[in-house]
Amino acid sequence: MNAPTPAPSPADVIPAPVGLLAELTHRCPLRCPYCSNPLELDRRSAELDTQTWLRVLTEAAGLGVLHVHLSGGEPTARNDIVEITAKCAELGLYSNLITSGVGGALAKLDALYDAGLDHVQLSVQGVDAQSAEKIGGLKNAQPQKMQFAARVTELGLPLTLNSVIHRGNIHEVPGFIDLAVKLGAKRLEVAHTQYYGWAYVNRAALMPDKAQVDESIRIVEAARERLKGQLVIDLVVPDYYAKYPKACAGGWGRKLMNVTPQGKVLPCHAAETIPGLEFWYVGDHSLGDIWTKSPAFAAYRGTSWMKEPCRSCDRREKDWGGCRCQALALTGDAANTDPACSLSPLHAKMRDLAKEEAAENPPDYIYRSIGTNVQNPLSEKAPL
Amino acid sequence: MTAQFPPPVPEAGQRLLSHEELEAALRDIGARRYHNLHPFHRLLHDGKLSKDQVRAWALNRYYYQAMIPVKDAALLARLPDAQLRRIWRQRIVDHDGDHEGDGGIERWLKLAEGVGFARDYVLSTQGILSATRFSVDAYVHFVSERSLLEAIASSLTEMFSPTIISERVAGMLKNYDFITKDTLAYFDKRLTQAPRDADFALDYVKQHATTPELQRQAMAALTFKCTVLWTQLDALYFAYVAPGMVPPDAWQPGEGLVSEASQAKPGASGGKMAAGDRPRLPRGVRLRNDETRGKWVLLAPERTFDLDDNAVAVLKLVDGQNTVSQIAHTLGQTYDADPAVIEADILPMLAGLAQKRVLER
Repeated sequence: MNAPTPAPSPADVIPAPVGLLAELTHRCPLRCPYCSNPLELDRRSAELDTQTWLRVLTEAAGLGVLHVHLSGGEPTARNDIVEITAKCAELGLYSNLITSGVGGALAKLDALYDAGLDHVQLSVQGVDAQSAEKIGGLKNAQPQKMQFAARVTELGLPLTLNSVIHRGNIHEVPGFIDLAVKLGAKRLEVAHTQYYGWAYVNRAALMPDKAQVDESIRIVEAARERLKGQLVIDLVVPDYYAKYPKACAGGWGRKLMNVTPQGKVLPCHAAETIPGLEFWYVGDHSLGDIWTKSPAFAAYRGTSWMKEPCRSCDRREKDWGGCRCQALALTGDAANTDPACSLSPLHAKMRDLAKEEAAENPPDYIYRSIGTNVQNPLSEKAPL
Repeated sequence: MTAQFPPPVPEAGQRLLSHEELEAALRDIGARRYHNLHPFHRLLHDGKLSKDQVRAWALNRYYYQAMIPVKDAALLARLPDAQLRRIWRQRIVDHDGDHEGDGGIERWLKLAEGVGFARDYVLSTQGILSATRFSVDAYVHFVSERSLLEAIASSLTEMFSPTIISERVAGMLKNYDFITKDTLAYFDKRLTQAPRDADFALDYVKQHATTPELQRQAMAALTFKCTVLWTQLDALYFAYVAPGMVPPDAWQPGEGLVSEASQAKPGASGGKMAAGDRPRLPRGVRLRNDETRGKWVLLAPERTFDLDDNAVAVLKLVDGQNTVSQIAHTLGQTYDADPAVIEADILPMLAGLAQKRVLER
């Protein structure tokens, strides 16, 4: 027998993926200005066919994926959403429908329930219908959402409300909490906007000020205590005001894989913004090979790519350096420490940027849409 | 009603007891026979009953409450003295109230409604156990037919009730999230009414039990009354705790309730777990063997709970049928351990999962 080799550091081991974010389509009736989809949206003609999605799910289950997030765009815009959900159930995958609740969502809900759907996450843009519909860019969306939510709980499906928080609705945080209780949701996500994709373009229109953010956190903490055992509230604070960054997607290439409508596999939904990364497609490779061998997943997995202050930091295997896309967008180098981290030399400047923007009058929203050539006002050079 | 209840104190019945001795002998009956000692009440007060078991108690006990003024009216009819009648009629006023919406019976209805019952269903008494009806009716007959001394002595359980009420209110508020202070308003009043009533009745018994035989009869009457209360709990235990034999036509969980949605109130759902609850995994929560990682996990909305071996053993028995006690019992047999210790261990674990809303009861 050979001499035992030392156990590899956990950072060097490629763990099995836990979650698959299946962006089934970029089509969506809503046009939220903070949409996490890329600025360049996939067209319907480029979308994967049903058989390919079923194969991807089968491969995902084989790799050890437990949760599948059926997302988009609006996933119920796919005609095969019921078939895809049924496949998840057959494979023992936990299926989570991330939906706007508008368009054809309600019409398909009962069939999704029968197919074995496990959970529904419904987005709500606001509590007040008028402002909610201004943010979502779709008239009459709010009543549809309420009707959809009522049917979810009537079926006995667990419901999570997802509210993306920004300066246009941050005053409604107490209202979101009441709405979640009223609708019988078990969970509420009070998710401050993460400034990638469309949200990055609209940052000045969305950024709340620090006092508003602090107040929203205080309200959530009080509500958690008051509603213990009734409503679980998850709070995502805005990076720009945070002390430490989030482990983006649980660490690059550690937990999550994201398949785009046309089958490109990404370590996170914004990873395409990083130039020079080579992404593989499910049409060309098995999901397992993509996870373990594709250059994009290898690029920032583990800790060996890190620079200071990450490289010697005790937290490097907690937050894995934060978000690569944010580091790139704000500092010009994806391998830099995420400036959301207070240990980053650029953190103070990032915070100042947020403060300045929050203090200005908000510009108009740039709504997401397919095929519009968006001039990203921030894309020319890194601002920090 | 001719059955003789044996004197509780051996020498009693042989010589005339002083007033102090008589009171001590009567209190001794309560100390040994009053229904606060019954296992069902211990479960009730310690939070070990499920919501349905508490409902069964509230429903059956309503019949007892409703018949108390009938019993007191029968007694009142036999009192020869206006002064005595003025005193005794206060009991009827307390229970029936002076107007609609007032009185002890109304407050008990509020309690029954508070645990989810439709008012009309409770009023109909159609769901009560026959043992409840037999016991309560026996009490009414006893008071109507026996001597005034025995009738009045049988009410002396009120001497013991302040203790049980304090225990009950504190225990139930602490242990059941569906019980509120308002629900228990019945007992607030009884805390002051019962001692006043008992003082009068005790004094009457002392004054009128003037021979060893009369003292024996008074003690036997109180013993009888303790039995009336005890028997009702025996029946509840038999039907709704163990072995769980609900007689035909008696209330079954789910019957006679106002729909959950219309009575739901904030903060009233998850987060607690009692030994009598039957936990279950709701839709959207699944126990799964994760073969890739060689472990069992609990899959829930947007999260995965890693489970240790103990948690897996417990959750495999969570099926909406087994009570927490039964789960502890099964595990005790499997692992040759004390079920009481296991129960104490697993209750906080299950309550923790309920609070995270991945377990229901």
